[in-house]
Amino acid sequence: MVQNTLALGAEAVGCAAFDAGIKGAFGYPGTPSTEGFEFVEAMIQADPARVARWAANEKVAYDLALGMSYAGFRTLVTMKHVGLNAAMDAYANSALTGVRGGLVLLVADDPGMHSSQNEQDSRRLAKFAWLPVLEPSTVQECYDFTCRAFELSERLQLPVMVRLVTRLAHCRAALVRREVLAPTGLGVAPKETIQDWVLIPSNARRRYVDLLAKQAGMVEDLAPMNRLVAGTSRRGVALAGMGRAYFDQLALEHPELRAMPRLEVAAYPMDPALEPAFLAQVDEVFVFEEDYPVLEERLTFQRAGKIHGRLDGSLPRTGELTPRLLKKALGLPSADGKAASTLELPIRAPRFCDGCGHVDAYEAMQEALRNLGVPDARVFGDIGCYTLAAQEPMAAIHAVVEMGASISMAVGAALSGQTPAVAVIGDSTFGHSGLPALLTAADSGANVTIMILDNRVVGMTGQQPSQALDQVERMVLGMGIRPWRPPSGIPGPRWWSSAASASSPCAGACSRNTTAR
Amino acid sequence: MSAPRIHGIVLSGVGGQGVLSLAQIALEALRRSGLHALQSEIHGMSQRGGSVHAQVCFSESPLTSPIIDEGCADLLIALEPLEALRYVAMLRMDGHLVVSEEPQVNMEGYPPLDDVYAALKAVRGAHLVDTEDLARRLNHRQAGGMALLGMASTFLPVSLEVWHDVISQRFEAKGARITEKNLEAFEAGRGLVQDTVGV
Repeated sequence: MVQNTLALGAEAVGCAAFDAGIKGAFGYPGTPSTEGFEFVEAMIQADPARVARWAANEKVAYDLALGMSYAGFRTLVTMKHVGLNAAMDAYANSALTGVRGGLVLLVADDPGMHSSQNEQDSRRLAKFAWLPVLEPSTVQECYDFTCRAFELSERLQLPVMVRLVTRLAHCRAALVRREVLAPTGLGVAPKETIQDWVLIPSNARRRYVDLLAKQAGMVEDLAPMNRLVAGTSRRGVALAGMGRAYFDQLALEHPELRAMPRLEVAAYPMDPALEPAFLAQVDEVFVFEEDYPVLEERLTFQRAGKIHGRLDGSLPRTGELTPRLLKKALGLPSADGKAASTLELPIRAPRFCDGCGHVDAYEAMQEALRNLGVPDARVFGDIGCYTLAAQEPMAAIHAVVEMGASISMAVGAALSGQTPAVAVIGDSTFGHSGLPALLTAADSGANVTIMILDNRVVGMTGQQPSQALDQVERMVLGMGIRPWRPPSGIPGPRWWSSAASASSPCAGACSRNTTAR
Repeated sequence: MSAPRIHGIVLSGVGGQGVLSLAQIALEALRRSGLHALQSEIHGMSQRGGSVHAQVCFSESPLTSPIIDEGCADLLIALEPLEALRYVAMLRMDGHLVVSEEPQVNMEGYPPLDDVYAALKAVRGAHLVDTEDLARRLNHRQAGGMALLGMASTFLPVSLEVWHDVISQRFEAKGARITEKNLEAFEAGRGLVQDTVGV
């Protein structure tokens, strides 16, 4: 069955995973990766032989996928770049265990930080784990590379990462699909491989040697995805991902660019012989890749000729690539368009949804803190739609770092003597990594006040189901937090003041929906 | 060998107005007209009443970049006047701007409306649409977006038949009445351009 479908880049990965015969898809929502899971989830809903499940966090999602692979089936796991930090323990160690059924990891990076707290480059994490990563530059490649990644994963018996960036993950285009394969089990990992999966030091040492020994085969297997294209110019370009997409399009409009020799990279690790062979053809190189200067650093180490990119200032050191930046670096003229408006245009920032209970909760908290005589209290916030409270004029939270940090940071501050030490966390973030932090908070006996803002969904990424649904209060009590009434309630200053003036760990869930009116 | 021309549409508005839906309709219509087309959208943080924008690129040649450079767009469709001004510099000298006059004031410091209108009217190729009045006349609160698309459609190489097919399919699941109302809004928008610009 060949179909012509319109899909986002992230969706194309999900679609390919379905067509490649995965038994299951797992993930944790995070822009711009979310649509990859949701697309395959919708396909799986019509197929009772398969499963799609959001997990409590990215590490759990990755381990679910690894278990499915162990059982012999193909599987997809999706997350955003910072989510891979949470899953890094599982990802790095699955390089040692290897996989049985093909395991493909979709990671979507966010250069330019459209909706993320950093712009880390997942290619570096793949290298760190000694694992292969494929980097598409078009929606069709998102699909084709994912199909290829499953084959590669089973051939190498290793997990394979498909790395997208925001512009590609959220680029919509027509997609040609392949035949849909039904999930076929290879059977559970055979008996003679059991020790490969048991990473006690004696096995792990052996498996690390095995992993390093696989590197040469990996390079060979990926070699057809990277290529040198000869040209007549002594100026060359090294291209990867969206850098390749932007350059290809510029070369449509500026035929003279086609004379430049190119090094095109779509898979890592790459053959180390490619770079010297490329550099021998050119005196000067422009490197266009999204995010960190990965290729650029490698070329710079070879020290043959001038290398232009983010390191020498030809491109900005941070932020997203754009066609304009490529033009500027290459010395091409920019088009003369209409003049920009001279009127001062204020930023239209995202805001809380109308009627959102989080606003009431924050206002109650601020009023209670004023009533306690600490109007300049510092409050530890967390990642989610409630992070919007960091903006003026509300400015209700004063630190936002990563998923689950609010509770632990408040405990750390309390242990240094800060009072009141207040944390604010949403229900899904609480389920993601607030739970272990709360366990430590309870055990520490530190005087912290934790506000769990329960809106019963993952609000920031499009209202996916929250795994903590209807469980928040019981989970808090189960952690050994002293029963305190009412643990849940409609936010109001008096209710909140009693929480903030408690002298031991105290957690309250604010929700409009869970409380009977 | 002449270089193929790459065309671009920029769509802008406020989260919730339907910017991305309009972009998807335009993408599908262009694709069905035998053109190569790509769409780019940025959302996430911007969904909650913030600025939203999308781009659609199309050409007779296969494309790889979903975004166009400043000064290269042929058409800007703006569902909100201030959000139009943000992207005027994306337009080519001879580009067209199709913009709703209806402001969404959900932030501090929104400039005086008269200044906004004056700035828009100073843009050559600008077509301001009183979407509020149109919605009232059509008794269809959300007619604005589809009317703007109707007006914009007169600048795009897509036949009326293809537009109708794509719009009908888009709203099929919502029933015949909703489909009818949207086609009516689209037609009203097309009619406006003939009145005001005489294309």
